[in-house]
Amino acid sequence: MSDKVMQVQQEALDAIEQASNLEQLQQVKIQYLGKKGSIQGLMSEMKALPKEEKPAFGQKVNECKDIVTKALESKEEVLKIAALSSQLEEEKIDITLPGNKHILGTTHPLYMIQQEIEDLFLSMGYKVAEGPEVEQDYYNFELANTPKDHPARDMQDTFYIDVNTLLRTHTTAMQMRELEKAKGQVPIKLICPGKVYRRDDDDATHSHQFMQCEGLVVGENITLADLKGTLEYMANAMFGQGRTVRFRPSYFPFTEPSVEVDVSCPFCNGKGCKVCKGSGWIEILGAGMVHPHVLEMNGFDAKKYSGFAFGVGLERVAMLKYGIDDIRNFYTNDVRFLKTFDRFD
Amino acid sequence: MRLSYKWLQEYVDLKDITPQQLANALTTAGLEVEGIEPMAQGTGLVIAEVIECEDISDTHLHRTIVRYGNSDADTTQIVCGAPNCRLGLKVIAALPGAVLPGGTIQAKPLHGIESNGMLCSMAELGVDKKYLEERQWTGIEELPVDAPIGEKDVLGYLGFDDTILDVSLTPNRADCSSMWNMAKEVGAILHRQVKWPDYVGKSDVGTPSQFKVQSLSDKCDYYLGKVVNHVKVGPSPKWMVNYLHAAGMNSINNVVDISNFVMLETGQPLHYYNLAKLPSKEITVVDDQALTMTALDGQEFAIEKGDLLITTNHEVTGIAGIMGGEESMIDETTEGIFIEAAHFNKTSIRKTSIRLNLITEAAQRFTKGIESLATKKAIDRSIQLLQEYASADDIEETVSYGNDGYQPVVVKETLSHCNALLGTAFTMEQVKEALTWLNFQPEVNGDEITCHIPSYRTDIEVPADIDEEIIRLIGFDTLKATLPVMNTTVGQLSPLQGLRRMTRETFKSYGLNEIVTYTLISKEEMETTALPLGRAIELAMPMSENRRYVRAGLINSVLASVQYNEAHQNSDNLLFEISKVHAEGKEEERLAVALDGNVQNDVLHKLSEPADFYAMKGMLMTWLNRCGFNDARITVRPNTTDVEHFHPYRSAEILLDRKPLGLFGELHPSYAKKFDLKRVIYAEISLSTVNDITASKVKFVPLDRYPSIARDIALVVDRDVTAEEITKVINNTGKKLVRSTEVFDVYQGEHVEAGKKSIALRITYQASDHTLNDEEVRTVHDAILDKIKEKVSADLRS
Repeated sequence: MSDKVMQVQQEALDAIEQASNLEQLQQVKIQYLGKKGSIQGLMSEMKALPKEEKPAFGQKVNECKDIVTKALESKEEVLKIAALSSQLEEEKIDITLPGNKHILGTTHPLYMIQQEIEDLFLSMGYKVAEGPEVEQDYYNFELANTPKDHPARDMQDTFYIDVNTLLRTHTTAMQMRELEKAKGQVPIKLICPGKVYRRDDDDATHSHQFMQCEGLVVGENITLADLKGTLEYMANAMFGQGRTVRFRPSYFPFTEPSVEVDVSCPFCNGKGCKVCKGSGWIEILGAGMVHPHVLEMNGFDAKKYSGFAFGVGLERVAMLKYGIDDIRNFYTNDVRFLKTFDRFD
Repeated sequence: MRLSYKWLQEYVDLKDITPQQLANALTTAGLEVEGIEPMAQGTGLVIAEVIECEDISDTHLHRTIVRYGNSDADTTQIVCGAPNCRLGLKVIAALPGAVLPGGTIQAKPLHGIESNGMLCSMAELGVDKKYLEERQWTGIEELPVDAPIGEKDVLGYLGFDDTILDVSLTPNRADCSSMWNMAKEVGAILHRQVKWPDYVGKSDVGTPSQFKVQSLSDKCDYYLGKVVNHVKVGPSPKWMVNYLHAAGMNSINNVVDISNFVMLETGQPLHYYNLAKLPSKEITVVDDQALTMTALDGQEFAIEKGDLLITTNHEVTGIAGIMGGEESMIDETTEGIFIEAAHFNKTSIRKTSIRLNLITEAAQRFTKGIESLATKKAIDRSIQLLQEYASADDIEETVSYGNDGYQPVVVKETLSHCNALLGTAFTMEQVKEALTWLNFQPEVNGDEITCHIPSYRTDIEVPADIDEEIIRLIGFDTLKATLPVMNTTVGQLSPLQGLRRMTRETFKSYGLNEIVTYTLISKEEMETTALPLGRAIELAMPMSENRRYVRAGLINSVLASVQYNEAHQNSDNLLFEISKVHAEGKEEERLAVALDGNVQNDVLHKLSEPADFYAMKGMLMTWLNRCGFNDARITVRPNTTDVEHFHPYRSAEILLDRKPLGLFGELHPSYAKKFDLKRVIYAEISLSTVNDITASKVKFVPLDRYPSIARDIALVVDRDVTAEEITKVINNTGKKLVRSTEVFDVYQGEHVEAGKKSIALRITYQASDHTLNDEEVRTVHDAILDKIKEKVSADLRS
């Protein structure tokens, strides 16, 4: 009898061995371990055995059942792995196809530069001033120490609307409004970015509309050296560490002393290159100490307080920083141009 | 200004200073040198004589033998093409190896005939044609018969061995456009003494004069006149011609040249009249006439009241300070002259010269301002030079009107204030030295420095001016870099500035590109502006018709950018602009958005989404939500105000707390066509209004602890029933238990009756204090369904 058990067991194990997929294995399972399966069939044959042989036989059948069950389980495991890997293989894709398109929008480069300057000065405790673009002559010129017969006021430079109204020619007008608003109270620490307008024919380097950002500090003991330090700080932030600034005397009606500010060329580190025309320096902004007349006209005691002011053209900075050769690019708004700026820099 | 390096040496010793070093020193001191160029160029030149000359047949060429030295061996053969080449001529020869602006000269045959160099014209030496007569650039230079053969310093012999510095003067330093003042400036910068010609008081001579001068205008408060009854008109001395050339002026004759030369030296424009052509011995300056003046060349000038005029015997002879009368011009027949040197008001001269488009050298100088003492200096120097170089004789005493009005200026500064303003530690010694070189005659009394400002430095008025002079002369390179020491302030953006940035970031995150367009627009653009803020502001004097008005709305500028991009084959142009708009008495900040093409365009991965009304609505709603306004505060209602720019059925008005923000939607096809565009979605929103409305603060609401139950419904309703009407019914009926209602499908077409549409919604029920049971949900859901049937005559599908 026990030979028969061994025979069934061997048949079952062979069948398991031969099963090549999970369905076949399931058939084998039913055939041998099912309620009507061969191993169950052996149990029914036990009735015919003498009483004393029954326990041993029963044990044999149970052993057989265990062995077959284990073999089935381990085979099942193997087949499942095989099935999964063939499923995965079927799922193969072409990883060289492009990924989903994500459209990145862009900030206009002029506003990128503006925000960069704003953030720098905000971090130093400056506020950002606002002011009208359609401005009064009074704020644009008169308070800025540029009286009526000053050559800088020539009709050729300014878009007048009427005798007293114009499109602001510089963001200095905002400085004057802020000074007036402060009613002689210090400290004043602000920057004033914005659009300005001048009667220029548009070409590669001129634009009748452009953007400026000016800065103004008024307080006690503010010095020209402070202006230099502040601008050096800005030059380092905008054009990379290691920049130095150089002052050259200049003239603006609203500052005295007035200076042109050169930054050591960031492209050649001051050695001289095409961008700086071999000089090692790039002219970047105008600045100076607030003219005592300006302070006094705005109600500040020029004996007690002093201040500095500076102004930078945003187009100039952007053109230098990104190597843009034509100012009109900023106002043509070609999407290909704008997309240049959809990355972190 | 054109600054002659050689002329400057008449006053300052520059032997050990090269033009480049001079340029650097000037630039560092605030007189920016923008260019350095030699008057003429050429090495390997020599003065030679043509000792043989014969025509080469069938060409315009001549075969010459020239002698360029004293020895008989110093001869060579040169082929020359100049028409004026002839035997016996003294010429400039460039021998092989000579370097001219056009290149290096080589010995090579011309027409097969040996040629060992070139005979030169002045143009070939790099002299600008505007300083040459035609014969000097069409032919070779004809040197005087006594020109020394073999002279190698040809440029020196010609007086063209000069270098011109192009100095850009700031408006406050117009004084330096006079050579004398420039020389003083150079002396101060280089710490060198300046020497002057002996001219002072040279005009204080003369016999009594009958000539009368007067001014009837307060714009001419000083007038000097002087009669010189005899002058000999002829050529100018060579040095004067050269200096005038160097300054960019041509030589005319000795008398006219002297007037120009003295103007260049002193800065004072002069006018010399041909005495014989003045109808009477009288000059009156007036400004109350309106007439038409005709110049000799026929050009007419409309003189208005206010223009300063020179009249004699009630006849206008010239426009004061701008253009002299041509009748009384000096020519070779002139025997006697009348010299005019006067103060003419700079504002008046500027206005007249700009209006008449007569921007003459004299007018420019008056406009920039002239020191009040220059008048007398110019008369003195004129007389000295006229006597020396034009045989001036029979001179009458100077006649005058008014006085020079000069008041000496004294400015006091203290060393401590100077150092405090500059952030420097200059010593009194340093400061005094700088001020002394500037001729400010500093008087030191303790900390105080009293400066006596020279008459020509009209720009020095306040202590800060003195401080600038000090650091300019001592050098800006001494300045340290420090940061201001002051009370700490908080740097913070204003709410509007924050809103602007947040708006920019939001629209950028949608994939839109920010643009900046011009504020000034044409009349047509102004007239077709959507949502104009008000009456557009017009410029008084536009530069062109395209830029006449200050825009009161953004639509045309933004659409022009879309049009540009379409025309340049850029597709999917998603643009936005944040800009102010203006109208009479008003200013507003706006946001404009234009969507052209697809907002998502990925065909491969089937992720394409065309730009349509809903794309725009989603962007605006999400943006406003982000600004702190929930949907309940936003109203979107049919656009009934502007169906000229917008599609009447695919556009809407958007309001926040019932305040209109603007319009958005598809453009009217007729309007889009103007820009060659098809379906473009556009929005223009008042950022100022959004900024004025208080946004809700971010507040945490406890998360729901109990599960929600969703029920889908599908309805068939009339086409005109809006989603909003249905949601309203659901929300009003379901009250607190309805957590959200979402439309997930809208369909009209096949299987749906004409004029109807099918709409499917998912209602989510949830209670915040317990788990809902089926019974509760069924009750409220049934109530909602009944209400929908009743209110919008819906046919319930499920």
